[in-house]
Amino acid sequence: MFIGTEKLTHTYMPGTPFATEALDEVSFSLKRGEFALIIGPSGSGKSTLVQHLNGLLRPTSGRVFFEGQEISSDKRGLLHLRRRIGLVFQMPEEQFFSESVYAEVAFAPHNLGLDESEIKNRVKDALGKVGLNAEQLQDRHPFQLSAGQKRLVAVAAVLSLNPEVLILDEPTAGLDPAGRRNLFDLLAMLNRDSGLTVIISTHHLDEVAALADRIIVLQHGRLVLEGVAKEILTRRQQLDDLGLALPAVTEILHGLAERGLPVRTDIFTLAGARAEINKLKGRREL
Amino acid sequence: MFSRPEIIIEARDLAYTYYSGEDADSSPALSGINLAVYRGEYVALIGPNGSGKTTLLKLFNALLAPTDGEVRVEGISTVEEENIPRIRRTCGMIFQNPDNQLVATTVEEDIAFGLENLALPSAEIRQKVGDVARLLGLEDLLQQPPHLLSGGEKQRVAIAGVLAMQPGCILMDEPTSMLDPAGRRDVIDTVCELNRNRGIAVVHVTHFPEEAVFAGRVIVLNQGRLIRQGPPEEVLTDLSLLHDLGLQGPAAVELAALLREDGFSLQPQLLHRRELVNSLCSLERKS
Repeated sequence: MFIGTEKLTHTYMPGTPFATEALDEVSFSLKRGEFALIIGPSGSGKSTLVQHLNGLLRPTSGRVFFEGQEISSDKRGLLHLRRRIGLVFQMPEEQFFSESVYAEVAFAPHNLGLDESEIKNRVKDALGKVGLNAEQLQDRHPFQLSAGQKRLVAVAAVLSLNPEVLILDEPTAGLDPAGRRNLFDLLAMLNRDSGLTVIISTHHLDEVAALADRIIVLQHGRLVLEGVAKEILTRRQQLDDLGLALPAVTEILHGLAERGLPVRTDIFTLAGARAEINKLKGRREL
Repeated sequence: MFSRPEIIIEARDLAYTYYSGEDADSSPALSGINLAVYRGEYVALIGPNGSGKTTLLKLFNALLAPTDGEVRVEGISTVEEENIPRIRRTCGMIFQNPDNQLVATTVEEDIAFGLENLALPSAEIRQKVGDVARLLGLEDLLQQPPHLLSGGEKQRVAIAGVLAMQPGCILMDEPTSMLDPAGRRDVIDTVCELNRNRGIAVVHVTHFPEEAVFAGRVIVLNQGRLIRQGPPEEVLTDLSLLHDLGLQGPAAVELAALLREDGFSLQPQLLHRRELVNSLCSLERKS
């Protein structure tokens, strides 16, 4: 097991009348280099789960593993862990506090106690990884950037730690289509080319379904489905009952299949749907 | 007899510039906007991030005052201080994140918040809150603390709070972007119902082309300018325009365009998934 949990339970405000069980005996595991989605309706425990994966929350019971070992709870251990497992929060740009893009991205490497020239390299590297031009942008105030650029700076601020796992909580909320595509292309590339393990919590499958190796589905804090992405995405009724939606092109293929046209429905991209519908041409003259 | 639809919000030569400290020559967030929203209309406002959509909504609701030009709501200017309470009653705002706009400890108190500020008698407040709660299916949740509701329910509570003020128009800034698909459907259905059956105008900022199809008119902003407007079947099927701006058409429109390139003769201007499915099935029958 590279990263995962065993019977992880989390109760907020335990022992008070407001106690709420956010996670209930959740167990799953991922391999190094996988691209995983954690999906589920609002309030299903996705954000709570990802915050456990880099030690921000402590389990009420159960365990969290990284590289086969239970993550330690002492301060040194956690610091070390958070260098290797980066977490990008929801709407991360709302937490920007620096006067320049450079300072924002340099914050974490600075805290590692690296020397200035190494910090400079890390910043340049991280901005380059997210496709931003360091020379052009690093002296700007973060608030002068577009929404898409701000989100990329927030990702760069985490990548500057050179993590082995990158976790993103609802990473595309509020981004326009170009910004969403850009971010997902970037994550797919980091995963493919640098072997970065990527974990995304989301409830929008539209653009990301085709990228995923594994999917973990939560409902009311329980793990209700887990497996290979392609297989999970065939459970249309079950996902629908959870208030989740398949990608729109997949729904169109289901619509055709229901009307008796012989099309596959395990296709999640526009290009894939196009090719599949084109196969109908050969069958009869369409 | 044909009567001209009445204007509820009007922008004339509207411009707005955010001044950020020493950066005095920053470019305008909006400029040269001439636009009327009619009573009972449903307008979708689309455009890339930073195109001025949110700024325009804030100008409509007097949260911002124009740098140039003017905004009139029911004929009164948003500039004069004494008009502002009336303007905000007429044009209620729903924000992106429901957690940022719920203020009270129970749903009932939250819906009543605006009414209490009007200093209405409590019996009247109670009745109005009961009415909107029934209308939006929130009766059973009135005693619940808002933070325990789902995202879709929270946005409906926010809409109820606006609705209790009997607005002529609801302004919505990406109201579904933090919601799951079920919550999105919930909010969109509610808003469509209020628009259709209660004649409330809606101005809906969205990044989801699939939501803009419900509007009567789609307006496209880019770099602070209004560059296109028209019915959804015209604007949302103009993929070269949308793609140039980094936007997308609805999935059915995108897929239909590719299939037309491949020689499928599909119904023009189709917008909905169902229309694409029907169009493909009828090709199959003809063959």
